[in-house]
Amino acid sequence: MSDRIPVTVLTGFLGSGKTTLLNRILSEQHGKRIAVIENEFGEVGVDHELVIGAQEEIFETANGCICCTVRGDLIRVLGQLRKRRERFDYILIETTGLADPGPVAQSFFVDEDLKEDFELDAVVTLVDAAHVLRQLADSPTAADQIAFADVLVLNKTDLVDATTLAGVEQALRGINGTARLVRTERASLPLDQVLDVGAFDLDRALSVNAAFLEAPRPFEWAGLYTLPAGHAKLHTGAHEASHEHGHDHAHEHEHEHEHEHEDAHGHAALAAVSLLVLPVAGSDAEALEATLEAATSAFGDTARPAASGTHLVPGTLYQLQLEHSAHFELVLPKAGVWAVFTEHHPGEFGFHVRGEAAHLERAFGSHHHDAEIGSIGIADPRALEPNKVNDWLSYLLQSRGADILRMKGVLNFRGEARRYVFHGVHMIFEGKLERPWGEQARMNRLVFIGRKLDRHELEAGFESCIA
Amino acid sequence: MSPPRTRLARRAHLELGDYPVDATWAADGRALVLASGEGEILWWAPATAPAPQRLGQHAGGALALAWQGAGAHFASSGQDGQVWLWDARDRSHRLLRQSAQWSEQLAFASHGRLLAVASGRELAIYDASGALRSSLPEHPGVIAALAWRHKSSELVAAFNGGVRWYRFEPAQEARDYPWSGACLTASWSPDGRVLASGLQDGTVHFWYLAADQNSQMKGYGAKVALTSWSANSRYLASAADSMIVVWDFGGRGPEGTRPIQLDAHTARLTQLAYQPGGTHLASGGRDCRLMLWQPAQGSEAVDADLLPDEIALVRWSPDGQQLLVADRSGALTLYGVERA
Repeated sequence: MSDRIPVTVLTGFLGSGKTTLLNRILSEQHGKRIAVIENEFGEVGVDHELVIGAQEEIFETANGCICCTVRGDLIRVLGQLRKRRERFDYILIETTGLADPGPVAQSFFVDEDLKEDFELDAVVTLVDAAHVLRQLADSPTAADQIAFADVLVLNKTDLVDATTLAGVEQALRGINGTARLVRTERASLPLDQVLDVGAFDLDRALSVNAAFLEAPRPFEWAGLYTLPAGHAKLHTGAHEASHEHGHDHAHEHEHEHEHEHEDAHGHAALAAVSLLVLPVAGSDAEALEATLEAATSAFGDTARPAASGTHLVPGTLYQLQLEHSAHFELVLPKAGVWAVFTEHHPGEFGFHVRGEAAHLERAFGSHHHDAEIGSIGIADPRALEPNKVNDWLSYLLQSRGADILRMKGVLNFRGEARRYVFHGVHMIFEGKLERPWGEQARMNRLVFIGRKLDRHELEAGFESCIA
Repeated sequence: MSPPRTRLARRAHLELGDYPVDATWAADGRALVLASGEGEILWWAPATAPAPQRLGQHAGGALALAWQGAGAHFASSGQDGQVWLWDARDRSHRLLRQSAQWSEQLAFASHGRLLAVASGRELAIYDASGALRSSLPEHPGVIAALAWRHKSSELVAAFNGGVRWYRFEPAQEARDYPWSGACLTASWSPDGRVLASGLQDGTVHFWYLAADQNSQMKGYGAKVALTSWSANSRYLASAADSMIVVWDFGGRGPEGTRPIQLDAHTARLTQLAYQPGGTHLASGGRDCRLMLWQPAQGSEAVDADLLPDEIALVRWSPDGQQLLVADRSGALTLYGVERA
């Protein structure tokens, strides 16, 4: 029906493997003729007939509305490419790790020419598993790029251990609860994961990570350990047998200066983390579930600061001071099953109990530690009143549009057989009635990704829409 | 008795078979240079040779053409990053410029002695022999449009953040006219009094350079991508989306007055051009419509034609008596302006 040309925006920090992925996309036999728009300072190396350089140029409006900010260079270059429409059938835009993805995405909804001729397929963000935590700590742009993504390609997973990887995923989920997360080594992944994703296509189903829609907990992780009475040793920070300083041999030319002030294992992002130990009645999931309320309540206490070497006792909330390598003595009055709750995923701060592995672990919805940027999800089966939804979302976009980077949702309208689907980029909103619910249980699912989002405010707004 | 009406009469036709990127009339109005999406540069003299002559090809596609005023040279640029200077007498060309950036803007001064080339943020000025006169890098933004002041060596470059004025003869001077907006077009009134620019934010800006005044006109629903002055410098036509807005500089001027609106297009305009030496305005859009207007006489179209595809180019001959119109498929129609 539409003869608009699909566009994938490929973004990610230096060293994340963008060039490798780009070369793979261009060299693979996928039957597509792809034109590539590269940023001016791209580390080229891309050998392809249709590669066009563009100098990033931000067009702002006089009123300073960030939602109307577009990329002038893309409008111009794509305008020229349109004239050779029959020569290619897909466009890939590579942006630098420093570029704000907002104006790139908005250009496709705000500018009349681009809106008519091109279709934003997805924002794909490459993430370097070994360095992303450091990048998140150092640069707000890293969080923006993750927040804007429809697909997060977690690359170089072979360079980190499993615990770190889990921590990285948890951090990414905290920022963006709805992006598809793809793990890869050397940017090697099936291309249908990054091309023809249809992330802005309202006809395709909204996919949201299920854990993300659960009620939020003040901790991101819990593990059950069976421990003897006496002292158990808890460690954070550097630990043995980690490989992440190995070099990627996939001919990355990009990341030489990324290593310079790298801390031992990339755990430097956190200065302190809350930890709680509670006794558990059994060693299964139900037993853990039974302690969640008590743990949630205890996380409301004022945490006691604990420097390396401190003795810890169950039932007290501690704030562990993280150093390059810290250790703590957990003093247990009796043998049994103990639940350890941590504010952040153990992978984010290299946490482990010496000589022990948790025999049961559970990750909870993440709350990214800088709290600056993150995702909030709402899942609720109650029917909504369309007019009230309209009022609420209009108000929300006008009052918070600058802070809401992305939003997506599927809504259950009262008396309506079809699902209402919507998505938004800043203040730009598109929504429509889609296919019927049919056999599927009616359920509202909304996701907001943005800065300084207030869950209570969003939940109250949602509540005001109940029919 | 009503005055004689003007109408457009079809006189010649050509199937280019490719997207027509640009076209320029030779100074004598007897031939046209055409540039295609695939980069071909063609010579077409409809009255004497119905089939065009292929002159050369820019690898990767063509970007722009410009004829040298009343002279015998023209310039072409392409996605190969090159600018060629052509001699129409033997149709030979030579490489004028090779740059990493596309040279999307080419403009000869009306006296023909200077050629301005904009490549990204850089402006280069060549003389008629092809020698580089000035290289002016580091504009605050990518140059979106160039406009020479009629019969002068004054040039304006428009970009995101305002316009920069230059004079190249006798000595080189420059002055900035900053404005917080992305200027997309630059059109100098033929009398040289007013510089008009259409902006991405849906406004038009007027600079009265001699008086050092400027004004902003709002009310457009979309970016203003097209501007064109009437030959008598009284009217500025502008287009945003499917709407044409004509500002009247007669009397007290456009500020505070209601402009003329011409709204027969049903899709976005792609071309807007006032007739040289005349009072007619031609417009073309994605609705495949070619419209001829006489805005000073009223907001009804004078004549119209429907083309097979979206209109890509509308180019008046230098004397304003012929009109070349090309659609997206590469169908070129040459009209004569006749009195009905």
